[in-house]
Amino acid sequence: MPRALTTEFRKLATVRSPWLLLALGPLTVVAGISGLVASGGNVHDPALPGKAFAHVGLAAIFTLVFGILAVAGEYSRGTITDTFLSFPGRRSVITAKLAACGAVGAAAGLVSAGTALVVTAAWWSAKGGTFHLSAADTWRTLGGGVAANVAFAAIGVGVGALVRNLAAAVTAALAWVAVVEGILGQLIGSGLARWLPFSASESLDRASLTSSSGLLSRGLLAQWDGGLVMLGYTVAFAAAAVLITLKRDVT
Amino acid sequence: MTDVVARGLTKTFGRVTAVRDMSFTAPAGTITGFLGPNGSGKTTTLRMALGLVQPTGGDVLIGGVPYARLAHPRRRVGALLEATGFHPGRRARDHLRVLAAAERIPDRRVDEVLGQVDLAEAAGRRVRGFSLGMRQRLGIAAALLGDPEVLLLDEPVNGLDPAGIAWLRGLLRRLAAEGRTILLASHLLGEIAQTADHVLIVSSGQLRFAGPLREIGETNEALESAFLDLT
Ligand SMILES: Nc1ncnc2c1ncn2[C@@H]1O[C@H](COP(=O)(O)OP(=O)(O)O)[C@@H](O)[C@H]1O
Ligand SMILES: [Mg+2]
Repeated sequence: MPRALTTEFRKLATVRSPWLLLALGPLTVVAGISGLVASGGNVHDPALPGKAFAHVGLAAIFTLVFGILAVAGEYSRGTITDTFLSFPGRRSVITAKLAACGAVGAAAGLVSAGTALVVTAAWWSAKGGTFHLSAADTWRTLGGGVAANVAFAAIGVGVGALVRNLAAAVTAALAWVAVVEGILGQLIGSGLARWLPFSASESLDRASLTSSSGLLSRGLLAQWDGGLVMLGYTVAFAAAAVLITLKRDVT
Repeated sequence: MTDVVARGLTKTFGRVTAVRDMSFTAPAGTITGFLGPNGSGKTTTLRMALGLVQPTGGDVLIGGVPYARLAHPRRRVGALLEATGFHPGRRARDHLRVLAAAERIPDRRVDEVLGQVDLAEAAGRRVRGFSLGMRQRLGIAAALLGDPEVLLLDEPVNGLDPAGIAWLRGLLRRLAAEGRTILLASHLLGEIAQTADHVLIVSSGQLRFAGPLREIGETNEALESAFLDLT
């Protein structure tokens, strides 16, 4: 394994806070699916499992903050100095963080997906409903959700490199997801809004809100298009992270 | 033998000129004291030497090569910098293991340097609970980790108790006697007077004196009056 990547994994393995953060993902999935059923969701509705599985993509909010923490956390605490002393080329630091956070994001997404399956199966059997694992939409929705977890972890690395202040970076990212993208979407209209990052990720992880025509009718992109758009954002943030990191003085 | 050589080093931050056309050599086998008042450009100079700050002009070569181009920087150069941080939730030993991973340095060496800075017993504790002096010792352990032939130290006695200061002085003398290059930045006259062989005196980012300590007097008083004249 490249030395920069070993270093990043060792950093993650020796602190607790990022893992506590990631544990919120599966917890959100449990709470979200339980809420869906408890608030009167009909387990005989064939669309309901898809709504349940879409919570996996929602958990990506935590991999986003995880990615931010991996970079902005180092600037805020001053450990970035030691990191750059070890790897003065710096490029390897950012690529290792992208790889490590992407891998952890994938693992977190898989745990959330497994949790979603178990919790859904438990609720459905308790309420006497049935859902079909074999439905192609099940795996497309869960797979899209895992992909969203990976993409947001990498985007978080980019955000953390661009906004080095940890509190500011986390606030900016959460404000974007919760408020800014919605307002901006209304200003530019749904035709353009569906290309914005959070909307694109929604199309990625809500494939089973019926077919792609169903997605389009809700003002979202088709799943593969949403995936490609997310890939584009991920690459753009990663490239910006590398470029800005190479130049900046660390004082 | 690895000298540290600055050539026409200059750095401006906006309208502030932190370092102005500085040239000096810190020769191998000696302790070079880098003395100057607060804000005179010492930290900025060391950060430029370590590739953390991009010079506006000039460069610093370590054994003829800029730091950023060293193949195994932690094995060649050890650094202790003022604003270096620790993750408060990471244990001291793990802090060093993270740095060790960068050069595939074995855990055995981590334990060795922890013993050397007298932190063996605190090795398993999270840095959150460390005093300033303990953090300083951990920083020194990090600098020593790669057994480097060059040490760049910024205000290393900050937070150390008198016994720690004496210990550090002995350690630096021993390392210099082994042929290593030590550049020791400080605003404390007494520390430089007792430790250094050579001195660089800076003020307002400019080099005012470079030469053997004995040329300006080895007593505290002689150095103090020279320092006050020059700065
Ligand atoms: N990142 C920065 N931005 C603006 N000014 C800076 C920065 N870093 C240092 N300076 C200025 O450069 C000068 C030299 O600072 P420094 O190198 O820290 O001095 P010393 O270590 O000798 O106390 C000071 O005037 C300081 O305010
Ligand atoms: Mg300083």
